[in-house]
Parts: sequence; C-alpha cells; structure tokens
Amino acid sequence: MAKKRKHEEASEEGRKKDEVAPERPKRTLTAWKSEQLEKQNDAPVFRNKEKVLITCSRRIISRYRHLMLNMVALLPHSKKDNKVESEDSKGATLNELVEFRNCTYCLFFECRKQKDLYLWMARSPDGPSVKFLVNAVHTMEELKLTGNHLKGSRPILTFSSNFDKEPRWMLIKEMITQIFGTPKDHRKAKPFHDHIFAFSIVDNHIWFRNFQVSVPHNETDKMDRGGLDKMTLIEVGPRFCLNPIKIFGGSFGGPTLYSNPLYISPNQIRAMEKRKKAGKYVKKVKAKTRRKMHELENPLEPDEFADLWKE
Amino acid sequence: MNGLTEQKYLLTKETMEEDDIDDEEMDSGSGSEEIPLSEPSKDAVYNREGLLEKLEEIAWPKDLEWIHKLTIVYDQAEEIDVNDDLTRELAFYNQAVNGARNAFEKLQSMGIPFLRPPDFYAEMVKSDNHMLKIKSRLLVEKKKMEEAEERKKARESKKRAKEVQAHKLKEKAKRKKEEIDSVKKWRKQRQQSGFARNSKAEEMDFGDGANSFQRSNKKRPGVTPGDRSGGFKAKEKNKRRTFRESKFGHGGRKGMKKKNTAETTNDLSVFNKSDLRGSKKRKR
Repeated sequence: MAKKRKHEEASEEGRKKDEVAPERPKRTLTAWKSEQLEKQNDAPVFRNKEKVLITCSRRIISRYRHLMLNMVALLPHSKKDNKVESEDSKGATLNELVEFRNCTYCLFFECRKQKDLYLWMARSPDGPSVKFLVNAVHTMEELKLTGNHLKGSRPILTFSSNFDKEPRWMLIKEMITQIFGTPKDHRKAKPFHDHIFAFSIVDNHIWFRNFQVSVPHNETDKMDRGGLDKMTLIEVGPRFCLNPIKIFGGSFGGPTLYSNPLYISPNQIRAMEKRKKAGKYVKKVKAKTRRKMHELENPLEPDEFADLWKE
Repeated sequence: MNGLTEQKYLLTKETMEEDDIDDEEMDSGSGSEEIPLSEPSKDAVYNREGLLEKLEEIAWPKDLEWIHKLTIVYDQAEEIDVNDDLTRELAFYNQAVNGARNAFEKLQSMGIPFLRPPDFYAEMVKSDNHMLKIKSRLLVEKKKMEEAEERKKARESKKRAKEVQAHKLKEKAKRKKEEIDSVKKWRKQRQQSGFARNSKAEEMDFGDGANSFQRSNKKRPGVTPGDRSGGFKAKEKNKRRTFRESKFGHGGRKGMKKKNTAETTNDLSVFNKSDLRGSKKRKR
C-alpha cells in the first residue's frame, strides 16, 4: 500500500506543475483509485475464492467431532455449521446448506454406528464429490503431538508423486489443493508459512500429516546460513488416513465415476470376524454328530473274552 | 430453475439410497462367501474419461502462479510397507522435510517475507493451556526415565556390594584357618624338638582345640559380666576409672548384671539374723 501512495504523490506533484485543474481520481472506500490499479484490474486476475463448509452428522462421537474441529482450526477459509441429520435426504439438505452459506466446497463428517467415520468432500454446485472412509484418527488434542503453529498461516501442501499417476488420484489431488490450501490474502490468513501438510498415498490410502516447520532465522525473508539443513519438523496433528470409496459426478450424488474395487465396508469386516468366532461351536457340534453317526454305522464286534473273569 | 434443482435433489437422493442399500446388502447377504482382500471386485466402476473431464471442469488455470497453490510434489522412491509404523512415519517426515525445503527456497527467491519473526505473537492452533499440558507431560516422562535409571544403578551397585562382602568374608575365614594351622604347626615342632625349658610358657594357652572356644569360667577382674568387648574398652582408661568401673559396673548389657546366678542365690550372708526372726515393721 505504501508504494501506491508514493506513486500518487508523485503524480499529484506532476499535476501541480501542469497547473490544469486536476481531475480528481475516483475514490474507493479506503484510498484514491489510481489508474494503474484499474489497468491491472482489467486483466483477468486469478482470485482464489474457495470457501469450505464443515459439518458433521448427528450422533457423531467425540473423537471424530474433535477431528472436525481441528479441521476448522486449520482452515481459516472454512465455515462451521450445525450437525446435519444423516438420513436419506442429507444430500439435498447439504447442497442447500452449502449454497446458503456461499461455500464452494463441503467437508461432511458422517459417523455411522458410533464407530465408522466417512468423509465426504464435495464441490458444491455441480460436483464432483468423493466419499472416503476415515481410519487411524488422531486428533490435535493428543499430548504426543508436541508441535504448534500460527492459526491461519497458509500451509504448504506436499503430495507424493503417485498422485499424478491415475485420473482418480489426480482429481482427488486437485480437490485437496483447493480445499486445504488457504487462499492467498485471505482476511483471516496470517502472512507467514510455518506448517506443512503432507498427503501421501500408501497402500491405496491417502495419509494426512501436519508438521510445524522450525527454522533458525533472524529476518522474516531470509533463513540463517545452513538454515535449510537445520530445519526440523515437529508434528502438530491431526492424523488420519482416507480410504476412497466412491467418486460421484455431482455434489453428494450423481453418476458414479469411480468405485473402489478393493473397498470392504467396516460392517463386512466385523461380520466376517464374528462369523469366524461363531464357526467354532458349529464345528464342534458337527464333529460330535459325525462321530455318533460313525459309531452307529460301525458297531464294535462282541468281545469273546468279555465275561472271562466274571465267574 | 426450481424444477431443475428438484430433479437434482431427487437424483442425489436416489444415489444416496443406493449407496445405503449396497452397504446393507453387504451386511446381511453373502453368508458363506468369504471376501478376499486382495482380489478386486468385478463390478467396480472406473470412468477415466469422466474423471478427467471433471478434473478439467474444476481445475484452476494451468499457468497459475505457484504462490496461490503452494503445492510441492515429492518423488517417492520405493514402496512403503504400511504395517511398519516407523518406516511409514519416516517416509512421511521425509516427504514433508523435502517439501518444506523446496517451498522455502522458492519463497526466499521470491523475496516475500515468509518466516515468523520471534516477536510476532498471534493466536496459535493449540492454546497455551494445552501446550502447558504437553510440557508437563514431557517433564513427567523425563523424570520417570531418570528415576528408572537411578533405580537400575542402585540395583547394580547393591549386587556388586554383595559380591564384595562375600569375598571379604571368605578371605577372613581363610586367614583365620591359616593362623590356627600355623600355631598348631609351631607347637608340634616345639614338642618334637623337646623344648621344655619353660613349662609355664608351654601352658600359655593358644586355645586347645575345642576347649579354646568355650568361655572360661574365670572371673575377669575389672570386666563387667556382660562385657564382650574383650578388654578393648578398658585399655585407655586410667586406674581409678577401671577400679570404679569394676566396683560399680559400666557398659555391657544391664540384664546380665541384674540376673541372679547360682552364687548369688546361695549366698545368704546378706540376710540379717534379725530379719530372719521378723522385721520390726511386722512386729508392730
């Protein structure tokens, strides 16, 4: 801003020399509008206007709720909303809600059976949306994670290279960059960079980590000598692991573009385990009956010496 | 417009329901069928073109400046074993470090202030209260470790002390035996050589086998009955003191002095004849 003002002063001096009744530049709310700025505005300038609505379903458990709140704390361009009933028409209500709150993205934490957490990432008016199963959740409140960073500083996003190998990962990567990247010059964003998000695909899951970056430095735009080598990262949290289930064309619905062939729902896994346990007794009973049948079919021959010692 | 949106809602509703039904089917059905984890199911959808189309639809312009995105791609060299927690976390850390280095280099070349000055105070993600908790936990953990180490050290030193003590005792016993042996030898030699000029000297008792360990019946002058110090106590005292102590007693166990012995019970000299007849008090 300071630079602009100087420019203006210079131009005003010039006008005084001309001694022509100077045309007053247009005023904005805060300052005089200079012509240069207007010219800049004419060119299409990219502005990141992504806003993320973060909500969760009813009956979400505390751990997952804390995870959601952590996300709210990490994303200054997010808005939090009330819990949504996760019944049949949640897609419709959510779409309405996102529109109502002027958001472009929605992160919806859906908790089922007080156990399983699903995360919906949806772009609002017309898709796409991704449904994830969330595993291995650690919230920021855990005392093992000792790092800390500014609230609202813009994160650096790192992706492992296998995000660029397949279309589904590419799409998810783009969505993640738009959701998790804080817009430049956002009013709640702080001007420094002191943390980094790591997204990496291992075993077809996306793993999320958040680290604080600590570098020895004195000035704000320069590191000390060898600062890059001395850089250390301290984990801040939260941690979670996303297993993509489906990608839909629309927001919270629409045609399925991708469904994970390797995905097994947690219900299924639990049922399998139960069945394994249940099989034990059935097997025992079966073995018993089989033995009985076998004995009936092959009776023992009467022993000749059975009553030898009885006399 | 309204109709259009309604249609959309209907559509979404349908898909959501489908999804739910799918889940339930997986719950109840497929009783005997075991689902292998490694084999992908056949009816999976993978619409590559559709995905790419969507990607183009939502993507930011390609010539976007890096400062808007702040993304760094890290080339992962080898496959990571998911179940090995340490290597997995290390891989994530490496990715993050690499990304941070690259990003900071870029930022530095741009000349934008990006490092937080030490006197810049602002709201942090974690509250001070929470950070205090973390700190106290770290301290407690450190203390615990130190204590455990101390205990370990003490245990070890105790063990060593025991060993040393045992060794000492053994040596003492050995020395004693040697001394006794040497004395016996000496006496034998003496007897053999017939050296009997001084018979009294021969009687000087060094302890005659089993007898030497028995306590002698002699009353030791100047030693109280309970005194087991072996005369060490009286060595440095003056004559008057020793006399008085022998008379009144000093040191040793009190119980021994107060007990009756055979001599004292038989000694009736203390009793007066007049007392035998009856005391004056009784008379009255």
